[in-house]
Amino acid sequence: MNLVAAGLVGAVVVAVAAATAALLVPRPARSAVVGVGTVLCGASGMAAGIVALTGPGWSAAVAGLLPLTGVVLSVDALSGVFLSVIGAVGIAVGIYGIGYARHGLDGRGVQAMEPLFVAAMLLVPAAGGVGTFLVCWELMALTSLLLVLAEHTRRVEVASAARWYAVMTHLGFVAILIGLVVLAGHADNDSFPALRVAAAGLSPATAGLVFTLTLVGFASKAGILPLHAWLPRAHPEAPSHVSALMSAAMVTLGVYGIVRVGFDLLGGGSRWWWLLVLALGAVSAVYGILQAAIGTDLKRLLAYSTTENMGLVLIGVGAGGLFAAAGNMLLAGLALTAALLHVVNHAAFKTLLFLAAGSVLHATGSRDLDDLGGLRPRMPVTTAAFGLGALAGSALPLGPAFVSEWLLLQALVHGLAAGGMATAIMMPIAVATVALTAGLAVATFVKAFGVGFLARPRSEHAAAARESPPSMLAGMGVAAAVCVVLAVAPVLVLPVIGAASGRVFGVADPVLSGLLAVRLQGFTGSLSPLLVAAAVVFATVVFAVAARLIAARHRARVAARLWDCGAGPLSARMEYTATSFAEPLQRVFDNVLRPEHDVDITHYRESRYLVDAVSYRLRVPDRVEHRLYRPVLSAVRAWGRAGPRLANGSVHLYLGYGFAVVCGALLLLVVTR
Amino acid sequence: MSEAVFVELLSLSSGIVLLTAVLVLWRRELAMVIRVFAVQGVALAGLVAVLAVRESSAELGIVAAGVLILRAGLLPYLLGRALTAAGPQRRETRPLVNVAASLLAAAGLTLLALAVSAPLVALAPSPATAAIPVGMAVVLIGFFVLVTRRRALSQLIGFLLMDNGITTVGFLTTAGIGLVVELGVSLDILLAVLVLGVLTGWMQTAFGNTDLDELRELHD
Amino acid sequence: MSLAGVLSALLQIALVTVGSPLLVGVMRQIRARLEGRAGAGVLQPWRDLRKLARKQPVTPRGTSEVFRVAPLLMLATTVAVVAVAPFVTTASVPAAGADLFVVVALLTLGAAALALAGLDTGTAFGGMGASREITILALVEPTLLVAIFALSVPVGSTNLADIVTSTLHDPGRTITPASLLAAVALGLAVVAETGRLPVDNPSTHLELTMIHEAMVLEYAGPDLAMVELASAMRLSVFLGLWATLFAPWGIAADAGVGALALGTGVLVVKVTALGAALAAGEVFLAKLRLFRVPELLAGSFVLALLAVVASFFFA
Repeated sequence: MNLVAAGLVGAVVVAVAAATAALLVPRPARSAVVGVGTVLCGASGMAAGIVALTGPGWSAAVAGLLPLTGVVLSVDALSGVFLSVIGAVGIAVGIYGIGYARHGLDGRGVQAMEPLFVAAMLLVPAAGGVGTFLVCWELMALTSLLLVLAEHTRRVEVASAARWYAVMTHLGFVAILIGLVVLAGHADNDSFPALRVAAAGLSPATAGLVFTLTLVGFASKAGILPLHAWLPRAHPEAPSHVSALMSAAMVTLGVYGIVRVGFDLLGGGSRWWWLLVLALGAVSAVYGILQAAIGTDLKRLLAYSTTENMGLVLIGVGAGGLFAAAGNMLLAGLALTAALLHVVNHAAFKTLLFLAAGSVLHATGSRDLDDLGGLRPRMPVTTAAFGLGALAGSALPLGPAFVSEWLLLQALVHGLAAGGMATAIMMPIAVATVALTAGLAVATFVKAFGVGFLARPRSEHAAAARESPPSMLAGMGVAAAVCVVLAVAPVLVLPVIGAASGRVFGVADPVLSGLLAVRLQGFTGSLSPLLVAAAVVFATVVFAVAARLIAARHRARVAARLWDCGAGPLSARMEYTATSFAEPLQRVFDNVLRPEHDVDITHYRESRYLVDAVSYRLRVPDRVEHRLYRPVLSAVRAWGRAGPRLANGSVHLYLGYGFAVVCGALLLLVVTR
Repeated sequence: MSEAVFVELLSLSSGIVLLTAVLVLWRRELAMVIRVFAVQGVALAGLVAVLAVRESSAELGIVAAGVLILRAGLLPYLLGRALTAAGPQRRETRPLVNVAASLLAAAGLTLLALAVSAPLVALAPSPATAAIPVGMAVVLIGFFVLVTRRRALSQLIGFLLMDNGITTVGFLTTAGIGLVVELGVSLDILLAVLVLGVLTGWMQTAFGNTDLDELRELHD
Repeated sequence: MSLAGVLSALLQIALVTVGSPLLVGVMRQIRARLEGRAGAGVLQPWRDLRKLARKQPVTPRGTSEVFRVAPLLMLATTVAVVAVAPFVTTASVPAAGADLFVVVALLTLGAAALALAGLDTGTAFGGMGASREITILALVEPTLLVAIFALSVPVGSTNLADIVTSTLHDPGRTITPASLLAAVALGLAVVAETGRLPVDNPSTHLELTMIHEAMVLEYAGPDLAMVELASAMRLSVFLGLWATLFAPWGIAADAGVGALALGTGVLVVKVTALGAALAAGEVFLAKLRLFRVPELLAGSFVLALLAVVASFFFA
């Protein structure tokens, strides 16, 4: 038995065992058992992924396991990337969950779902046939939906968020189903090799239809505009470790789907596909980070940042497709490498950020940045973890995401002349998008970290915060360690990712990575994350020592009051909040965001000239949602209202409908034959 | 003139033509906008002059002088007079699309112009035709000014920008559209500016300002 | 990276560290003279730094390590940039170091650290300064990166040393439309990044108008000295980068003593001239309202985009 197979089977067996144990074990030990199970499941999934990345792939078919198609599994390097990511996230989340679940999340059902969710996600990239893929995809959707619902008894918003998630994920599923079934209809059987053969003989129109349908489904899973509406709802309402799993692992499977279907099964296709993907990615990146930059709900902000990062990934995927369509396979490989590396980096830092946010939520009961602050002395480890995640999320040097964004920028810059007018026009726009996104990401994470964790507490909950239990800290520690390693030594993952994406386009590894420097193959360009980090750290230490030496000659450091203009101690109400921090940005992007302001002024009864209280409320609704979903929903509602007229209670009428439809269908059959 | 110098001068003058069009969107002071427009006229005349020297055509030389007099001298002068007639509001205070968005739109329009004129350039690739997108972009930006600016005078400038753009494209495609045609077009433009100038004056007396949205009142 | 390379990197660091406060002094002096004042002399910034460094270090209550580390990090990132940028010689640059994207990102990292320190104080001043600084930082980024894109097109690389070497081989490139547009766009971006007029007024302490000064209001003593030194160094680094990209003449190709001396002299002249021009220009400018700054930045972005277009279509 192959190692990949062993890993996958191990993951599924462990997950089922852990789920069964969750149903049987008494409450006190339950979360520990499930946590260990999830870690083991993730670890064996990750092991399978690493084996698939470094060695040859593996595939197998088990005929009887599913009706009609049987189970077809096949793992290649591309699947390996995603298997490793999901497995690694599972490990960190499993450890974290042991402590996190103790607080009302250790019910039987919820606990049983956690390892099953990880296992379902692991099976999606391992699927090698349409039937298997769809079953695993649906399994993943169902288990995640049940996990989102975990806290529905505590907050009413949970049910609404879960409803949005359920509807959108299933509409996406239907789109993928139709797309893949249309493709499979042209093939001998539903396994991926047969689809590849069939795709070669497909007309451009059919191939385009298949791609568009699957793109709709996969984009909605990846939180890409305009199908992102479920994401900023479901991620904040789910338990935080589930948010981490969804945001870092599940969402990336949308990208996997696009790459698998677009490049692998359909063989690249035409240019407009990838222009579409690139444009969707660019819009999502800017819109996502803009909403995050002005948001005040910590977890919602992170959810929007997921939309942004998936947008960046799709910019890479789309650029890769464009270059491949123009025949420049090396550059296409570079763009896809950047995209896949960003998937890995995003998984690392988003896990860390969501786990840290969960720790804050656990300690303060609040997700609202305007209520937080002053957590640094109260929760030092969580603060450090979030700080590291924020550095990574803002794509600055010393963080992992900088490496992938640098690769993406290099691919775009060198792609200007790669092919045709459309590419030449798209590349500067894409670079500008990435740049604006990077700038706004800095603003977002400076706000999230500076307002949420530094300064003084803005509410009593924040002032009473305590550090989380060790298992949660350990979970964050794992994610933080991965972040640091990815930031200074991308050489550990880059060769295999480069090889995996090179294989998609039939070229060698487009990036030559050594311990010291990352170089591009065939273009000039090099980056040395290790040297940059070493230089900055070294210079910081030198300056710190120099400052200490100079200061030591004089007097010791003393603490002093803050400058309060002589008006007495500063209160928390005088601090800048997240809302006020983002106000300039919100005004700059007024036309895009259309915020809603409410100012209520209450006057004293004695005189209209004296103001008693001013209340100011700012709401920034998701405008895309407003413009796009409202009309659709109201149309659906109008249809629903037409229903009663058709259904007046007469059984004969209902039977008549059925009769008419049957006759009509038969008639159609006669006419069209 | 050597090939390199010709290309250099051509790209310099067409670059200035495009840059001034962007500056028209950027600046709010109408007096400043008129000055920018005059600079564009100079650049346009320079473009024609470069072509004239290149083709060693006296006719084109005369056209260049005419363009200089009309577009860098007479039209800005008339616009300046209309500005004094238009009363105290000498700024485009609140355009329908704000300035930052207008500038981004200008960037988009330039890219669009490049895309649509690519086939045109491909017909006869030469340094002169390579600059056609600039003319197209100026036409589009002029149209954009017409659509989004409130003051009557800004509208006038938008209209003139479009004409400058059309003239640029004309000269670059055919290396001269002939003295007579250019003369006729110039007269048309002059007449239009005079009529609109008078109209601005009338609006000022009728409504007390030159915001074109006031014209809606005539409808009611 | 050879020994000569390391030595010339150290030379660049020493030059910028010593020279930056002098540059600020020169700029203030020019401004004072143009405004009819006598001025405090070119050495005044150094005297200020010496005075501040001798004071007792003070930490405001309630601030964390972030507040203390931020000035160090800002200095460190600036020094890292100075070490790899080919200011005096291209020989100092390790091949993998001087990528323009890395340079810009490092400088952004320093600014972001200082903004966090501003938020860490928890005062209205600190928050306001941080918020404004970050807003401008976010909006400058597209201009910077797209202008870099435009400069990299004819060279085929975003590496500073490659761009410098290739421009030295083909000096006509600096007066192409693409290069001129990129120069203007980057110039505006530099003004915004270094907090000069009309974006920010470095000499004001009025809460409604200031950006950078509000952010660092709580710093005192040696910490303030570090912040001041770091700001001065950032200014020289940005001016130096601009000069290196658009007027690379005189930059040494090797690490010989004569070449280094020439490179040093030329760099000092170039940066001083740019600083003088900036200071003289500031006399005639008023500060823009904060919400008019995005217009300026949108304009510079359009110029940068046109530069890319020009570099591709009219090459």
